[in-house]
Amino acid sequence: MAAELEVLAHAPTRAPNPHAPSRPSGCAVPSEEPLIGGGKTLTQVTRDVCAPLERRPTFAWWAALCAALAMLLFGVWAVGYQTATGIGTWGLNRTVGWGFDITNFVFWVGIGHAGTLISAVLLLFRQKWRTSINRSAEAMTIFAVLCAALFPVIHMGRPWLAFWVFPYPNARGSLWINWRSALLWDVFAISTYFTISLLFWYVGLIPDLATLRDRARGWRKKLFGWLSFGWDGSGRTWSRYEMACMLLASLATPLVVSVHSVVSTDFATSVVPGWHTTVLPPYFVIGAVFSGFAMVLTLMLIARRVMRFEDYITVRHIHAMCKVLVFTGSIVGLAYATELFTAWYSGNEYEMFAFENRLHGPMAWAYWIMVSCNVFVPQLLWLRRVRGSMVAIFVISLLVNVGMWFERFVIIVVSLQRDFLPSSWSSYCPTLVEFGAMVGAFGLFFTLFLLFCRFLPMISMFEVKTVLAPAHPKEHA
Amino acid sequence: METHDDNLLLPFEDTTSSRRSFLRTVGFGIASAAMAGCSRGPVRYVVPSLAPSPEILPGRAYWIATTCGACSAGCGVLAKCRDGRPIKLEGNRAHPASLGGLCAVGQASVLSLYDSMRLDGARRGGASASFEDCDRELTRIFAELERSGGRVRLLTGSVHSPSTRAAIARFVARFADGRHVSYDPLPASATLTAYELLFGRRLLPSPQFERARTILAFDADFLGTWISPVEFGAAYTRGRELAPGAKFRHIQLESRLSLTGSRADERVLLAPWETAPALAGLCAELERLAGLPSRLAQLGATPRSERIAALAHEVWASRGASLVLCGIDELESQLLCAYANELLGNHGATLDLARPSQRRLGDERALGELAAELDAGSVDALVIAGVNPAYDLGGRLALARAKHVIVASEALDETAVAAGWVCPAPHALEAWDDGEPREGLFVLTQPTVPALRSTRSLRASLARWSGDARSDRDLVRAHWRSEIFPRSGESDFDLFFERALQAGFVELEPRARRSLAFRPDALAQLAPRAQSPAPGALALVLYAKVGLLDGRHAHNPWLQELSDPVTKIAWDNYACLAPTTAATLGIGEGDVVRVHTEQGAIELPAHLQSGQHEGVVAVALGYGRVGTGRFARVGPHWLDAQPTVASDGVVGVHAGPLVVWGSAGRSFAGAPARLDRLARNVSLACTQDYHSLELPAALASHGHEVRDAVRSTSHAEHAADPHAVARSKHPVADQDLWPDDHRGERRWGMTIDLARCTGCSACVIACQAENNVPVVGKDEVLRHREMSWIRIDRYYQGEGEELRTLHQPMLCQHCAHAPCESVCPVLATVHSAEGLNQQIYNRCVGTRYCSNTCPYKVRRFNWFDYPHEDALANQALNPDVTVRSRGVMEKCSFCVQRIQEAKARASVEGRALADGDVQLACQQSCPANAIVFGDLENPSSRVSASASDPRAYTLLEELNVQPSIRYLAHVHSGRSTKKESGHGG
Amino acid sequence: MKRRHLASFDDEHALLGAIARCRAAQLDVVEAWSPHPVHGLDAQLGIPRSRLPMLAFAGGATGLVLGTVFQYWSSAVDWPIDVGGKPFDSLPAFMPVMFELTVLCAGLTTVFALLARSRLWPGKVVRAHPGVTDDRFVLAAVPRDPTLPAHEVDRMLLAAGAERAWEETIP
Repeated sequence: MAAELEVLAHAPTRAPNPHAPSRPSGCAVPSEEPLIGGGKTLTQVTRDVCAPLERRPTFAWWAALCAALAMLLFGVWAVGYQTATGIGTWGLNRTVGWGFDITNFVFWVGIGHAGTLISAVLLLFRQKWRTSINRSAEAMTIFAVLCAALFPVIHMGRPWLAFWVFPYPNARGSLWINWRSALLWDVFAISTYFTISLLFWYVGLIPDLATLRDRARGWRKKLFGWLSFGWDGSGRTWSRYEMACMLLASLATPLVVSVHSVVSTDFATSVVPGWHTTVLPPYFVIGAVFSGFAMVLTLMLIARRVMRFEDYITVRHIHAMCKVLVFTGSIVGLAYATELFTAWYSGNEYEMFAFENRLHGPMAWAYWIMVSCNVFVPQLLWLRRVRGSMVAIFVISLLVNVGMWFERFVIIVVSLQRDFLPSSWSSYCPTLVEFGAMVGAFGLFFTLFLLFCRFLPMISMFEVKTVLAPAHPKEHA
Repeated sequence: METHDDNLLLPFEDTTSSRRSFLRTVGFGIASAAMAGCSRGPVRYVVPSLAPSPEILPGRAYWIATTCGACSAGCGVLAKCRDGRPIKLEGNRAHPASLGGLCAVGQASVLSLYDSMRLDGARRGGASASFEDCDRELTRIFAELERSGGRVRLLTGSVHSPSTRAAIARFVARFADGRHVSYDPLPASATLTAYELLFGRRLLPSPQFERARTILAFDADFLGTWISPVEFGAAYTRGRELAPGAKFRHIQLESRLSLTGSRADERVLLAPWETAPALAGLCAELERLAGLPSRLAQLGATPRSERIAALAHEVWASRGASLVLCGIDELESQLLCAYANELLGNHGATLDLARPSQRRLGDERALGELAAELDAGSVDALVIAGVNPAYDLGGRLALARAKHVIVASEALDETAVAAGWVCPAPHALEAWDDGEPREGLFVLTQPTVPALRSTRSLRASLARWSGDARSDRDLVRAHWRSEIFPRSGESDFDLFFERALQAGFVELEPRARRSLAFRPDALAQLAPRAQSPAPGALALVLYAKVGLLDGRHAHNPWLQELSDPVTKIAWDNYACLAPTTAATLGIGEGDVVRVHTEQGAIELPAHLQSGQHEGVVAVALGYGRVGTGRFARVGPHWLDAQPTVASDGVVGVHAGPLVVWGSAGRSFAGAPARLDRLARNVSLACTQDYHSLELPAALASHGHEVRDAVRSTSHAEHAADPHAVARSKHPVADQDLWPDDHRGERRWGMTIDLARCTGCSACVIACQAENNVPVVGKDEVLRHREMSWIRIDRYYQGEGEELRTLHQPMLCQHCAHAPCESVCPVLATVHSAEGLNQQIYNRCVGTRYCSNTCPYKVRRFNWFDYPHEDALANQALNPDVTVRSRGVMEKCSFCVQRIQEAKARASVEGRALADGDVQLACQQSCPANAIVFGDLENPSSRVSASASDPRAYTLLEELNVQPSIRYLAHVHSGRSTKKESGHGG
Repeated sequence: MKRRHLASFDDEHALLGAIARCRAAQLDVVEAWSPHPVHGLDAQLGIPRSRLPMLAFAGGATGLVLGTVFQYWSSAVDWPIDVGGKPFDSLPAFMPVMFELTVLCAGLTTVFALLARSRLWPGKVVRAHPGVTDDRFVLAAVPRDPTLPAHEVDRMLLAAGAERAWEETIP
């Protein structure tokens, strides 16, 4: 991946400078196209990024928020009803015990990954181009993980007892918890992932909050003053700050790999044919990155238009992400192939049948949606003409999201639907309530994201400033 | 029970000693029966009892020996009572007929006791009235009729209760024109008539299945619904068992796939109109073999002649040890059937004429005459008891034409609703009664609970109307004292009667009769002809279904939700069609069809049934009972819930009106029928979506076309290599990743013998009763959320005549390496030191992860809070088992409550737990004794022995989850099919 | 009553250059403020390398040990239960949680160490130098020679490339 991205890692154009600190190789090469367009000065960056926060919300924003809230309300009803009435209000049965619930869980966890990847992994790789998208990508991560965490809770038969999954002293013995259960690993993985992402995100926000504080007056000044922890941008703080960011990045990097690997063990460690396979962890991680980047693309394409960030989220960023998409998409394709091969090569009758059933069983349509959206569609991005059209990229990114959702659906439902004893073979058809929960999750996600765009700097100002090309380099005698 | 008699309260010394000796001599079943027998507690002392009796402790179960009243078979049961009420029925091991088995219907009958719709108190002209008033009036009416010589008719089902028959005789004798007419909703009248014609006595011979080596059954569903399935099933299985090598053949000649047919070694598809000619052909062939001149004058062409001839040779080879049975109640066939048995010398050998069965005594001709009298309006008083003619006979009887109609029924059924008087009858579990299901075998029924409703038996009513105010118990005792006791040769009646109560039965030598001589004249004028219905028409076959039988149990939700052993469909009846026929008619599963016959038309969904004759449409009786709209509210209520039945509707469709009335009586098979496909489609609640062990051809990879879940082999192959059938396709290396440090001193295990299991589903209902399994309703079953802890998987192999049916009881396998346990995040399912896979309801948070990983899919999730509003029905709940709440997983617990109880009992008695102390509900009820339970660690236990049988295999062994259940492969003596035992040929 | 001289710049390079010149001119640069991290600044100011990594490691190690010990104790010592026939001490199965706890503790330690060490807390009130969170770079210098007059110092700072220089007294 690093190799792939090196190409994109161009330093801002500037004359070689005695005081310029050393940069990773490849960055010295002057690039024709700057990371940030429009030859911005530092204060312009500040003004541009703060502008959306300081002007009145547009009609488009209000419309979007209302739509998101409506979805959220639908979800609240669905979850409320299901919690009050029973899981029976879902389309599950004795054979298919998980359907939309866990599909959505895995989907959202996957979405989260891009954020961490961009902010942590690309930071370690010194990928300068990340600076203008990492903030919103991280926000996306946090909101996505929130949505994800929702599902394991509501999918329980008795969600009000969800806290039993934590090991706390109790009057039952104490009866602790089953550390051997992959579901329990999830609990720890997801909560850790959420905590670290949140810290990373907020730490990143502090300097920019200080900027807002110093621009604002009245109650906003008080608020941002409180939130910015009394940041004054002194050199000593900066140096510790950068170290802390590096540490968090290097912690988040293994985390991002571990989280989806752990999620994959929900399936990999069980006996269900189609689940019980060792390829799942890498398969899931790369899928997560893939879907995550697709979601980032979707959001960024909207944002740069709506928030007028074309100069910050430039065509170059979009293309960088397109390349990531092609790359990861291809690996996902490889994973699908590997999975089929292992099934065939295993000679295990149940395993073989599970995949025969995926390819041309009663739910084959889901499998083929997944393959076409995840493997074939992204390959279009090889074509310069496709990359040229933002609309095309937007559509592709959406299709990838659809495809990745179906990947989880196929893995979960189609594997469960027909396992060992033909007498128990069954099918699955979701109910309105399940759709409600799903729509609600999207509602929650977009609501949070819209509020974020409105009240917090969507672009990390101080980081963008570090990669700015100075308007007019000074001469020092 | 509205009268009290004081002699009951007198101390009863003698029994204590007798009980002690009794306890010493016999096992727990009878011992507890004995306690119950002499306690007489529940009749009068309702727990908590003021005078504590040694047997009845609150919270401790006690057992009362009595007789099952669910059908006329009269199986012996021990009623398990808690706190003064019965909660479970178990077969009485000592009973000579049922031998400890109890069918699904019997198991379910305990729930009917708590049916809130049972009648309470007498009714007069549609309004409730007091027994006193009714009695006063009726006594007067009958007195008048006695004087005026009016026409009094008494219409009942088969009554084999000696005391009741005596009471009826006394009552009828009062009137110049009094007559007792009895009929059976599922008649065997033709058989009785056939024997009357051929042997000079109206009797129903008792088949001795365990003596038969070759069985030819013509449409006789003797394992499912025919006369006495539990007794027959037990004997049949023992017959199969005798000398494993010894040849046992069961050939079923039938038009539809019956439960019995599904167990046959070979099936011959025979349309109803072909039965008589086929039997004739069989007899002719047998005559030839016997070297006798043909008695069958004009013989038509024999259908399937060479097959029939072959069968004749086969059955001739085992003459004297063979059985020819015919389940079609039609004189010609029955005469021929009896003749065949005579030719084979089966009478007296495998067909007991000395101890004939009394379970079917109905006389169709008498019924016809009664119908005529009613049409003529010449009946003054009609007393109806124990039957529901308005439903059974499809309204053929003009009951309204009788001047006075008095009905003794348990509920306000189709007949009672129209009657002038209703004197409700008690449920068998709250009544005194006796019976003689087969001559010489006398059974007793005693109350297990104080009468829940104000009711009175027919016997008491008749006595009362004749001015005899004695209570039921006294009438029974009196009859036994005068009629039965003298034959016992014992000295002390009280002791004799108490013993009888303790055991639930006495067996006496049947009355000596002159031996019956065979008189073949009746055969001369037989002219069996195969007249197939007009082209395009199908032959309608009306059959009884396991569970609902003739419909008398249609108000029992357990039986309504019991998925049919063959079709696996619950909650509805349907028109069964052979798939090919359906294809030609363009009818699909669930398409609603209108079935026209000369009698009328009914509309019901079609079901494509493998192994059925192409020229036949089969419809189950017993549905469409009035009042079954009550089940509209069964199951959970939520926004997308479909009611099981429209609240103004009924469950299923009543096929009774299509029964053909002939001079000889009703005919249930063969009426020509036409089918019209309607535009509607009804989804049938089938618990199984996929019906074969063969994978869909498109998805099967080479060499893995068949799953070997159910293994079966032919006698020949088994003899060649006994271990072949159990040999695993993928043997597992006997080593683990980690040391097995969990070996307890005991490991509970089970074996299920697929060669014995008939798929009768008794275990399913037994488990439901024992473990408080809720009824969820049709919609939930359609959504595949049935809750039964034990199910019976049914697989088909082949089609048409070659069809082989496999039954496999499926329950939690209690794996030593249970996949479900390691995935539960909160330790809600863990392993006990005795090898039980435990489910802890109050710890479960309901992730359903365990169910997903269960390879056997035996875990059941509480999708909703299932309704338990009916306080009366809740009386049937087992207090020892938690009623699960919403959102938790549940599954078979190996009846852990029984294990604990047995342990407690052992420790109280200061002894170690012995093999066989623990009897699981499913195991106990199994008429075929297919289930063995015990300690696998104990090498001398029965289960260990059975687990070491060469046929024993563990299901999905290759997963190495190490189940505690072994299946014993089925061994049949049919042709061995290619796909045999799932080893992919 | 301490006194120091502040100078603001509009460019990080100007700032860095100025620091070098100040040192030459006998002015100690005691602190600098910038809208974004300036590479090489800490070297110029002689700020020692942060010890956060050590703390983070300590935190992580603690998490690892806690996770391991508690899992072992709760499933093998306190209440051993037979789960799917697996050994009570199923170490391989404990590893995911061990890892997660390591990362969690390390992360939390890092952040709280940062806040503590840099004296940052919610609601802390500061008066940042004007523009320093926008586009201005500010340094604070103290003359080695206390007798040096203020205007002289300011002149030197302006000469070093500051666009503005002024004196400030800290209570």
